[in-house]
Amino acid sequence: MSKIFALAGVVIKELYRRKDFYVLFFLTALLTLAAGAVNFFHDDKIVRYVKDICLLLIWVSALVISVVTTARQIPAEREARTIFPLLAKPVSRWHVIVGKFLGCWLATGVALVVFYFFFAVVTGSKEQIWPWGAYLEAVWMHWVMLAIVIAMALLGSIFFAAPSSTSTITLIVVGGILLLGTHLNTIALQQPQPMQSILATVYFIMPHLEWYDLRDFVVYDMGLVPVRAVALATLYGAVWTTIFLLLAWFGFRKKSLNT
Amino acid sequence: MKFSPLSLLFVLLALAFTLATNLTLTAGNWSTRAKSDNLFGMVFGDGRKLFANHFFTMADVYFHSGYYPSIFDQKSGEEKEIISASHGKKETEEDEKNEDFLGQPKDWVDAFGRNFRITQHTHLANHNEREILPWLRLAADLDPNKIETFTVGAFFLREHLGRADQAEAFLREGLRNNPDSAEILFELGRVYHDSNHDRERARNVWQLGVKKFFLRTPDQQKDDKLIFEELAVNLAHLEDEAGNYADAINWFRAAQKVSPAPDALQIQIDAVQKKLAALIPVTPAKLY
Amino acid sequence: MTAILRTEKLRVEYRSRDLRQATKVALNGLDLEVRAGEVFGFLGPNGAGKTTTMNVLLGFVPLTSGSASLFGIDVRQPIARQRIGYLPELTYYYKFLTAEELLRFYAKIFGLARAEADKRIAELLKLVELESAAKRPIKSYSKGMQQRVGLAQSLINNPDLLILDEPTSGLDPLGRMKVREIIQRLKSEGKTVFFSSHELGEVEAICDRVAILHQGELKAVGTVAEVSVGSDNLEAAFLKIVGYQPSPLS
Repeated sequence: MSKIFALAGVVIKELYRRKDFYVLFFLTALLTLAAGAVNFFHDDKIVRYVKDICLLLIWVSALVISVVTTARQIPAEREARTIFPLLAKPVSRWHVIVGKFLGCWLATGVALVVFYFFFAVVTGSKEQIWPWGAYLEAVWMHWVMLAIVIAMALLGSIFFAAPSSTSTITLIVVGGILLLGTHLNTIALQQPQPMQSILATVYFIMPHLEWYDLRDFVVYDMGLVPVRAVALATLYGAVWTTIFLLLAWFGFRKKSLNT
Repeated sequence: MKFSPLSLLFVLLALAFTLATNLTLTAGNWSTRAKSDNLFGMVFGDGRKLFANHFFTMADVYFHSGYYPSIFDQKSGEEKEIISASHGKKETEEDEKNEDFLGQPKDWVDAFGRNFRITQHTHLANHNEREILPWLRLAADLDPNKIETFTVGAFFLREHLGRADQAEAFLREGLRNNPDSAEILFELGRVYHDSNHDRERARNVWQLGVKKFFLRTPDQQKDDKLIFEELAVNLAHLEDEAGNYADAINWFRAAQKVSPAPDALQIQIDAVQKKLAALIPVTPAKLY
Repeated sequence: MTAILRTEKLRVEYRSRDLRQATKVALNGLDLEVRAGEVFGFLGPNGAGKTTTMNVLLGFVPLTSGSASLFGIDVRQPIARQRIGYLPELTYYYKFLTAEELLRFYAKIFGLARAEADKRIAELLKLVELESAAKRPIKSYSKGMQQRVGLAQSLINNPDLLILDEPTSGLDPLGRMKVREIIQRLKSEGKTVFFSSHELGEVEAICDRVAILHQGELKAVGTVAEVSVGSDNLEAAFLKIVGYQPSPLS
């Protein structure tokens, strides 16, 4: 485990020594504060649109950070040739995959905490209430979703040499699932065969990332999602993450790395 | 003759400046966007109307606290049931049933997924209706010709949030952009009548609304008869309150011609007629 | 003496880019043995298979058939690399880390305790003369400094076997002398050094045994004297073994 944590530590250091996170945080903060500063009908108690905009920006930023960071891990190591002194140590390829995943996931988790804390401060200053339970639930579910996305990006990075290809494809897939995931069964029913069967199959076997989007619960003050549902969703997320990591490992362990 | 890179740069800059002074005069005619004095018009062109419609829908979504059908939840082949922010009409059981777009879960994925979706149909209340205002404001800025934005916004400002002055200002803004709008005039009349209790101004504005209605083409009048009915009925009630029963009856009768529920209006006509009859004095000549 | 590095009938094939050939054979039945405590030179012209051999030993490339082991453990097991140090020819390390952070990272990989790691890092930074630059990011280092970092990281676990891929390539005479001193010091400590090089003079000076590889096959193995039998020196022997024919003009 120490090897995995050592690898994760390097990933975290890299993220916080690059500028990506700070630029995205600054943009999110700037846009949120700008949105919050606008006066609508001289009512300073209006807050839901600020929550909506801020959470949207957080989701976009977190997705960008997680996907872009993960997509370049293995390809950058290969291109920079740092993979060779690493694998010459008593480190298996599984350690590398899990270490990279853990580093990206933990780094994104820290970014999420910072973003959501900012969100809580800005919106709490307007509405003077802090539903910490709902916020914690939203952060946790968001983080679990990002685990699946990071594992997916890591899998992509094994097969696509260019980080930009992995990032683009992952973001398209994730965006597609978030927008259409809930409705794919309805769309399937409206299609003729064989498209109906294909879409229905995809609907049942794809990872349902849209379950982890609790923004509406936070924006509309809808309280907490049942703990049992959150626990099952967490388990579902862990299963999908493991599937993607295993697939990444299968792909990576067979790859020849020539110095 | 050789030019140094620096002098070439100056020549090119001078050329660009000269061309710009010439083209500025004609470029304004290339598109309406260039002529627009509105920032959104300049940035988005006619696409701003799409955004305006989206933001108006967002206001509706906010009114229903996120319980809202997506485009995939609309029944295909049937007229789109737009759940628009209520104008104060109480929703019937039929309305409630129509708005329950979710239905039973189709499968276990759908069933489990509903734990993470808003599945309760609610409306904002207790001054939380303020939350829809930013979206209506944005919709109005993006498309000042979308009348519904002003009427719905004014309704909530007046009726739910008790801000008649802001409702009036919003409607006057709408009127500046849509001077012939009977709908905005109707809503303005409600501000004067219901909030300011200024019958005279309400009458003037509603009567102006009726005049604007009749400026429309016959086909438009046929399509928009609801607004005429509302104007006529409200004028009728106003005249009834003022004791002008004859005028009230005339307005009710005008409304009856276009109303889908003429019998209900007939009941009101009968009630006013009784009041009118009670007013007519018995002259001494008649006694003989 | 125990063999700590052994290959038996090692064969490695690659998919060929040449349409006329389905596969390219990089190594063809290599039998190699390196004994504990010796300095072993691994020679051959470019494309002979030296790097492929090292890649197999380090687990970068899978073998097609045969076997390869380090300390009696199959090279496919990560634990086989617990007691080795590796210095690649081209030294690239995480540019955003400092030398100290890099060494600490590798120390954690080897499972060194904090106190031991601290001691080892201090010793190595002194050995490679990077004490003053230890807290600067590696991206600010010169090429020579990066190579010294490479040397330090290859020694972090006090390895029993050091695998060096052209260790003096690109170094100035001072740097080459430093590397030679380190190799000799390791030998005096009973460590084993396995390195590839094109600097035959160096190899002659420090190696106990050498092997010459050509076109994926082992052509000669033994002490420098044994391999140079019938030739003036190692270079002449090397050229003879690889079939070099001098041009008529020379």
